[in-house]
Formats: sequence, C-alpha cells, structure tokens
Amino acid sequence: MPTIDPQKDYYAALGIPATADEDQIKKAYRDKARQYHPDSANGDAALFRVAHEAYEILQDAALRRAYDRQREGRGLSEEAPFTFELLQNTKYLPILDTSQMMYVMLDIRAKKDLRSSRRRLNLALVIDRSTSMKGTRMQNVKLAAKDLLDSLYTEDRLSIVAFSDRAEVLAPSDRVGNTRVFNSAIAALTPSGGTEIYQGLLAGLNQVTNDALDTSINHVILLTDGRTYGDEDQALSAARRAGAQNIGISALGIGEDWNDVFLDKLARYGGGVSQYIRTPSQVRQVLREQIQGLTNTVAQRMALTFGLASDVRVNGVQRATPYIESLECTQENLVSLGSLTVGEPVTVVVELVVNQSEGGERRVARINLEAEESSTANRIHLRKDINVTFSTNPVVEPVPPRMLNVLARVSVFQLQERAWGALEDGNSRQATRYLEAAATQLFNLGYRELGQAAMLEVGRISQGGDPTGTGRKKLRYGTRALSMPSE
Amino acid sequence: MNQKGSKIVCPSCGAENLPGTLFCVQCGTYLPSGGPLRTEPLPDQEEGRLARPRQEGKEEEIDNRVINIEVEVLNTGRKVLLSADREILVGRLDAAHGIFPELDMTTDGGLEQGVSRRHARIYTRDGTCFVEDLDSTNGTFLNDERVTPYLPYAFRDGDSLMFGTMRMKVHIYTNEK
Repeated sequence: MPTIDPQKDYYAALGIPATADEDQIKKAYRDKARQYHPDSANGDAALFRVAHEAYEILQDAALRRAYDRQREGRGLSEEAPFTFELLQNTKYLPILDTSQMMYVMLDIRAKKDLRSSRRRLNLALVIDRSTSMKGTRMQNVKLAAKDLLDSLYTEDRLSIVAFSDRAEVLAPSDRVGNTRVFNSAIAALTPSGGTEIYQGLLAGLNQVTNDALDTSINHVILLTDGRTYGDEDQALSAARRAGAQNIGISALGIGEDWNDVFLDKLARYGGGVSQYIRTPSQVRQVLREQIQGLTNTVAQRMALTFGLASDVRVNGVQRATPYIESLECTQENLVSLGSLTVGEPVTVVVELVVNQSEGGERRVARINLEAEESSTANRIHLRKDINVTFSTNPVVEPVPPRMLNVLARVSVFQLQERAWGALEDGNSRQATRYLEAAATQLFNLGYRELGQAAMLEVGRISQGGDPTGTGRKKLRYGTRALSMPSE
Repeated sequence: MNQKGSKIVCPSCGAENLPGTLFCVQCGTYLPSGGPLRTEPLPDQEEGRLARPRQEGKEEEIDNRVINIEVEVLNTGRKVLLSADREILVGRLDAAHGIFPELDMTTDGGLEQGVSRRHARIYTRDGTCFVEDLDSTNGTFLNDERVTPYLPYAFRDGDSLMFGTMRMKVHIYTNEK
C-alpha cells in the first residue's frame, strides 16, 4: 500500500495538470517510465522512483481523492487562490488548575499571480439625498458618480437609487454603456427630505438582484450623511439576506452625523466595508478605491469555523487587517470574514481560553476556512490545527514580535470601543478610564495625534459634556486603521 | 502536580486577567513586562509568564535591591530623590494631555533645554537601573552617548544622564548602604 505524502507534488512529478484524467495519467507515467528507466540510456533511478510513486497514488481513484483533499487542507493545492497561515503565541503551556489564555493569528493572502480575468460588475449606487446633503456634499457625490461611470466597463451593470423619506430609482439597472440614462439620473439628484436608509437599501438590492449572475460581482454602495431612525433592524436583516444571496454592501458615511455602529454592522452583514469620509472632496477617491477592491476580489463569503476540544472556548475574534474590527462568533463557532482582494491580506486574531489540567501534546482546536473562489464560484476548504504541549514546566518562547504589534493595536481599538459602550450605558467615569487607557497606549505606540484626540474627548466627558462627533469618528476610524507592521 | 493558575493582576490598573493574557483587558498594558510594548526584558521562566503584581513590604530576596535613585540637575543644583519601586517618567508636566512625569523638568528650564513632555523613563529590574528614551525630540544621552529610543540602557551609580541638553548626575541607593 503506497503512503500519501501531501508535501509532494505528484502532478508535477508526472508533468500533468491537477485536472488530468485517468488516460492522461497513464500516458504521462508511461512516457516518464520509458525516459527514466534505469535500463535506458539516460536513466535515473531516483526520478524513476518519484514518477512511480506518483503514479501509484494518482491511478487509484480513492487514493487520489485523499491526496487532493490533504493537499487542499494544507493550502498546497494549485486550486486555492490564496494561502492560509497560522501563528500561535506559544506551542507550550503550563498545566494549570484554572483557565488560561492563548492567542492565534491567521493570515489569509491572495496569491498574486492568480489574478483572474475581470468579472462583470453589477452595482447599485444608493445615494442619500436628504436636505443635509445640500451644497459641496452633493456636488462631490455627483462628481464621484460621474467618475464611477468612466471607470466602469460598458458591459458592467449599474443602477442609481436616491432616497430621502422614500426611495426613488433614478436609473434602473442597465448596461453602463447607456451613459445617457445615468447622466440624466445624476443630474436629477436634488437634496430634500429626511434619511430613511431601509427604503433606499431595499430599492438598491432589488435592482442588483434583478441582474445578478453567479459570475458577476453583485454589490450595493450606500452613501449617506445622516442617521436613520426606527428602521435599523429591517435594514440589517435585509443586509443579512443579501449577504446570503451573495450581494455585498458597502456603506460610506460622509461627515460626522451618521450612525457609525449601524453602518459598520450593515457592511459586515453584507460582506463589505464601511468607511468614514471626513470631507466631501474625499468621496471620489473612496468610491474609486471601492471599485478597485471589488474588481480585485479573489474570494468571497469567507468564513472560519472552529472545531474545539471540550475544554476550550473562543473568547473573542478580531480582524486586524485590512482594518480592525470585532467579529461575531456564532453559537456554532462560525465567523464570517467577507471577501479577500489582491494585495489586501486578511489577518484575524483569535483568543482562546483553555482549561486543561493534564499534560501532553494535544490538539486544542482545528480551524476551517471556507471560501468561494470569485472567478469560478468553486468552494474552497482549507484547514489548520492548533497543537499545544502542556507540562508543569513549559518552554518559554518569546511571542513573535509581529503578533505583539498586531495585538497591541487591536487592544487599543477595543479600549476605545469599550469607552463608547460605557458612555452609552451612562457610565461616563468608566468611559473616561477606557479612553485614558487608550490614549496611554496610543502614545506608547507612537500615535500622538490619536492619543491627543482621545485626551481631548476625556476632557470633554469628565466635564460632563458629550464627546464630539468628529472626535469619536476620528478615534474609531483612526484606531481601526492603525497600520499593521508587515513581516 | 498542577500549578496554581493565579490571575495576573495588572500592574497599572489592578484589573485581574486570565493567566497567559498578553494585554490587560481593562487598560491595554502589556502584561509580561508591565510596561510599554517595545521594551520587553526577556522573561525569566516563572516570572515572565505570570507577571506578578508588586507587593509592598514583601521580603525581597535580592540583597542589593535599589531603593532610591537621586538625580542631581547640574545647571540648577536641584536634587530629586525618587523611589525606585515604580517606573519614573522623565518629562514636562502637561495636564491638558494627561502627562504627569515623576521627574518634571519644567522648573529647571526643561522647555528651553529641549526636554520633551514624555522624554524618557527610568526603572529598575532585578537590581539594575535602566533608562529608556521614549522617542524624544532631542534624545537621551548616557555618559554622552545617545541611546536608541525604546531600548533599555543600564546605568550605574555616578553615571551622567542628559535629556535634550539638560545634564544630570545619578546616585543609586541600595540596601547595602
């Protein structure tokens, strides 16, 4: 019985693609065997053995399947458009009679050379036209929308929806090539009324759904500057449904008055990004980056699931790149990660609480990463195990510096998030404590400007005032975007 | 035999954290060293793992423990006696930004002589005193050599320290004296 070694590339040994059928495998083996047979003129016993070993595995359907699966599980298979790596803060833990903490960092990176051909975009631009958008905001949105038209391909689909108290489809989903329709829609944008996001979102989703294909990138881009009242839950469940149908949502907030927590959630459920646009002139650039991100998507609907040993639980999961956010871990230990784009690796930090009172090496958790390859809609499944040796006197290894740097930044983000939480609960004392701590750590890490912004808010809150919208957004989106050191 | 899994008490805010925690949940302090991130002294087995809280009045094993550091500011002749059992921040007071240095150089003309608000920190570890520059604008000098920011440098009794252009002499008082 031949043994499978997933580290070896049997397909390469025979010089065939991973998709080769039985006949191709047989033929390739016969050619190689003739070429390398020790009895032939240019014989090479080692290469002959390699080819023979590969053939033994690949000619057997069951063994070949097992081999493919193992390679995929290790991220070695040619098929996966990205790599999946795991780093533990330690491989050795002391035996304790209580719970203890350990950290795992996951890196998911798109393979650079595997840039798939550009897929068709199917977009809805949902624009807030409430009164507050009057002036430079609306002017810049119009310019940005025109830019968008120029940067899209003629075969892409686009629709434009405007909303205030109600939604209006200004340009129903159509080929971008029909520029007349879109130009007049953009011209027809005039501000008036309030902000009801749900109506606008729904209209945008409907437009995208009508033209959605398995192979197209379906996405709603929401641009708003205000708060929606009373319809948040409806909007969030619409976003969840959209996420399940492979329709993404990005939420771009302009100015200081929009509800950051709500838009963050909306985007997360829809598998997209939320962004803070400080000045109207940034609208164009942010929108351009959004489109670039969408066309560079290599995988979508990424999700992690944790298979945990009985005495292990997940304490928290945080995304560290492309931006920091706390991720929701469901009862079934599932965490949705959204999509992956070229050049923007996704890094996730997992805190595990381990309660192990016996020695020896054990598998603490198995982490499964599932994703859908964008160009083919194939499901990809990769897997990593976390093994730890428990002993009374464990080896003390230094924590990898990159991990410390990432954790330090994630920790600062969490501190300021807790501050806003405490403030909402009416506990301003606790809020100032968290903010002061965040400021201290920001100074320690060398982010003076953000540290000072935090101290300014501390001053306001401790004098009984409210934090400013600008300060809050600056801190939330500033700490969220703390740059991570690369390896 | 199982070790007692005692909680880590954060040295700066007193919150309890699970063993193995790297950053205090309440205040973000890096627990294995009890100080800023970039200056972790190599952990020595037990202690590094369960960064123990400092316990006042506890019998100390190390004989030549540093109790006090006296700093003499040479241009004004001011002498400051500092307790070595906690970290000493050197800088200039700035209440608006919450900077309250233990060694405040404002009255010695710190601003004019190029002392940053958060200039450096001094601390002791296992009987040795360290100075660490906090990426100050004009630098910290140990015996006239500029130190690299965020790296601890050991100094001895009688050494000369310079913050910006402000020079001072340090005296270390240990149990032995």
